[in-house]
Amino acid sequence: MFNKKILITGILALGFLALGFFPAGICYAHTPLCSCYDNADGTITCEGGFSDGSSASGVEMRVEDKSGKILIKGKMDEDSEYTFDKPSKAYKVIFDAGEGHSIEVSGKEIIE
Amino acid sequence: MKKLYVMLASLAILAMTVPASAHFQMIYTPDAALNKGGKIPLALVFTHPFEAGHTMDMGKPEQFFAVRSRGENAPKKIDLLDTLKPITWTSLTNAGNAWETTYSARGGDHVFCLIPDPYWEANESFYIKQNTKVIINVGGEPGAWMEPVGIPTEIVPLCKPYDRWTGNVFQGQVLLNGKPVSNAEIEIEYLNHKPLLDKKAFAKEAQATAPQDAFVLQTIFADENGVFTFGIPKAGWWGFAALDLDPDYTHKGKKCSRDAVIWIKAVDMK
Repeated sequence: MFNKKILITGILALGFLALGFFPAGICYAHTPLCSCYDNADGTITCEGGFSDGSSASGVEMRVEDKSGKILIKGKMDEDSEYTFDKPSKAYKVIFDAGEGHSIEVSGKEIIE
Repeated sequence: MKKLYVMLASLAILAMTVPASAHFQMIYTPDAALNKGGKIPLALVFTHPFEAGHTMDMGKPEQFFAVRSRGENAPKKIDLLDTLKPITWTSLTNAGNAWETTYSARGGDHVFCLIPDPYWEANESFYIKQNTKVIINVGGEPGAWMEPVGIPTEIVPLCKPYDRWTGNVFQGQVLLNGKPVSNAEIEIEYLNHKPLLDKKAFAKEAQATAPQDAFVLQTIFADENGVFTFGIPKAGWWGFAALDLDPDYTHKGKKCSRDAVIWIKAVDMK
């Protein structure tokens, strides 16, 4: 029954696309989410995701200083987490899931 | 002598017409939907929430744990039993043994599950065991709130239990050993007196006034699939207790009402 529903939804969606119902492209129905926590052991863990529960695995993560210089760069792991060594100077974390889907977290806001 | 019989008979009838006490196991924390993670307080209190009435003594729970899930990650169980500290909780009429702890909540869903020690209800000569769930979320990213945890009696939410506006409905499914309980009887109470965690007591001020006793403890029945629906009339915490789901269940040779409780919190649109 569930699969049938998905099938019907999929057929309808394809039908709408074919008819040009979404000329400006499909809008994302989810918003990006990223929260970072100080692990109190010299490391920071950021958890990413989307409001619809979809995975952020593979999303680019950057740790930058005030001027935008990249200090550390990596990707969300398979659990949509990214852990890095806490920089000794002021920093910000950027969760970059593409245009309109990026989040900036100030290091000052990251607590245990 | 005849007068005495009449008086005793009248008292007996009166006793039978007094509404059954609505025992509710609570897992209380102030908020169900948090914007940021951090340490949150939890209080386990066995009480009568609408009237902040008689609070029963809880024994050491059999189990208390959280199941954390975030996005597509597999749920993880976190045992909290050894973190519990005994407290005395003061109601408007007495004080009872209860438990408290704090929990570090990061993003996603956290399903708190309590399997209490059965409570001996001397007035009714049976035990009560209310397996209780509360689901909170941090940051808005959903997890496995809709999945059964797998405890013996359980109410599984069919709508996100932490995103209800006042006026929405709440739907749940009552399960016994993972199977739906047809026509389960469900009692509903509003947490009418704010729990003051610093004082380990209920606030004296009530949020609502019941025009008659029936409104203190509302009763509904689930359908043949164990599914029930309730329209939420007021912001705050609402408790749902599905009663006596396993009528033949006993504890120490005595009847034990095996119940399932869930709490949800609704908020006003502002």
